[in-house]
Amino acid sequence: MHVCQSLEKINTMKLEDFIHQNRSAFEEEGPGPRVWAALEKELPAKQPARIVSMMAKHWWKAAIIVALVVNAGLLVKFLNAKQEVAYVVPEMEEMQVYYTSKIEQKLEELNKYPAEQLGLDSTTREELKLRNETYLLLEKELMSNPGNERIRAAMVRYYQMKLELLDKILTEQDKYHNVTPSNKKDVL
Amino acid sequence: MPVTDQIVVRCRKGDVRAFRELYEAYSRAMYNICLRMTGHAADAEDVLQEAFVQVFKNLEKLTSDSSLTAWIKRIVVNHCLSYLRKKKVYFEEVGEMDAAEEAVVDEGAYAFTVSAVKEAIGQLPDGYRTVLNLYIFEEYSHREIAEMLGISESTAKTQFMRAKEKVRQLVKVKTKEV
Repeated sequence: MHVCQSLEKINTMKLEDFIHQNRSAFEEEGPGPRVWAALEKELPAKQPARIVSMMAKHWWKAAIIVALVVNAGLLVKFLNAKQEVAYVVPEMEEMQVYYTSKIEQKLEELNKYPAEQLGLDSTTREELKLRNETYLLLEKELMSNPGNERIRAAMVRYYQMKLELLDKILTEQDKYHNVTPSNKKDVL
Repeated sequence: MPVTDQIVVRCRKGDVRAFRELYEAYSRAMYNICLRMTGHAADAEDVLQEAFVQVFKNLEKLTSDSSLTAWIKRIVVNHCLSYLRKKKVYFEEVGEMDAAEEAVVDEGAYAFTVSAVKEAIGQLPDGYRTVLNLYIFEEYSHREIAEMLGISESTAKTQFMRAKEKVRQLVKVKTKEV
């Protein structure tokens, strides 16, 4: 202790001046590596990378949404072509009740999951709704042309695609909810 | 390594290497602030980490005419003060020093050494140490310190004078021991 003290320069001046003049001697080494290691994990993600990874994770949802939109576009084209081949099909109402109840049931199940967990944007959510614009358009056309086979076929296809999409989303959510060590690899 | 605006631009684009460069340029100086303010190495690292998370997240808010160093330092100091408040360190108002109290001071009579001053500062109560560090090491004015701590300027000044007096006494005792 005596040796250490004698090696240091003894100063007789104001405290502030002494500290300012010996400022570097008051500095310690930097922080340990754990600080950067922890920070690295919290770095704001690159925007393009985030979008790419989100697309990679939800690509199939995107693909089905695109298919639904294209389908809706084709329907509009059909309707604009004003096909007048009308047949009265008695099971139409039954088919409509079957699919709408199924879809509504799936939508109810889906709504039980928190929005952030589903990872669906507002456009996708809108597309998933049963009574969205496309549905209303089809319904209106069917009301005025109840027997139009092409409209009926298009509507069935529309219902089926929506049901398929909802099933896939629900299956994925089930997987995430029931992660066990044995199936973790499959889920991830 | 000089930190230029270019690093900030790269950080805003999400360049991980730029974040690392920014961290390396400032981490030592900012860690020293945290260490002086908290008095403990582990706590200083925790506070530093929290402060840098804020720095990285808020780089968008940094305007082109503001100083990057001053901005980062202010975030770090604010985190240190927040740490002290969590530790229930209160910066209460005190009366001004009276003339008799001030008259005792004869700074030239004290023989300072770096190790003795460091040790003395380390022994100060949290409140005194904070005020002394902010004034001498971080070079904030008494008015700025008062604003940061939510006390009056005269209290900040009085606390600083008392902190200095305490350091002198501790150094004196240490010198006698040697």
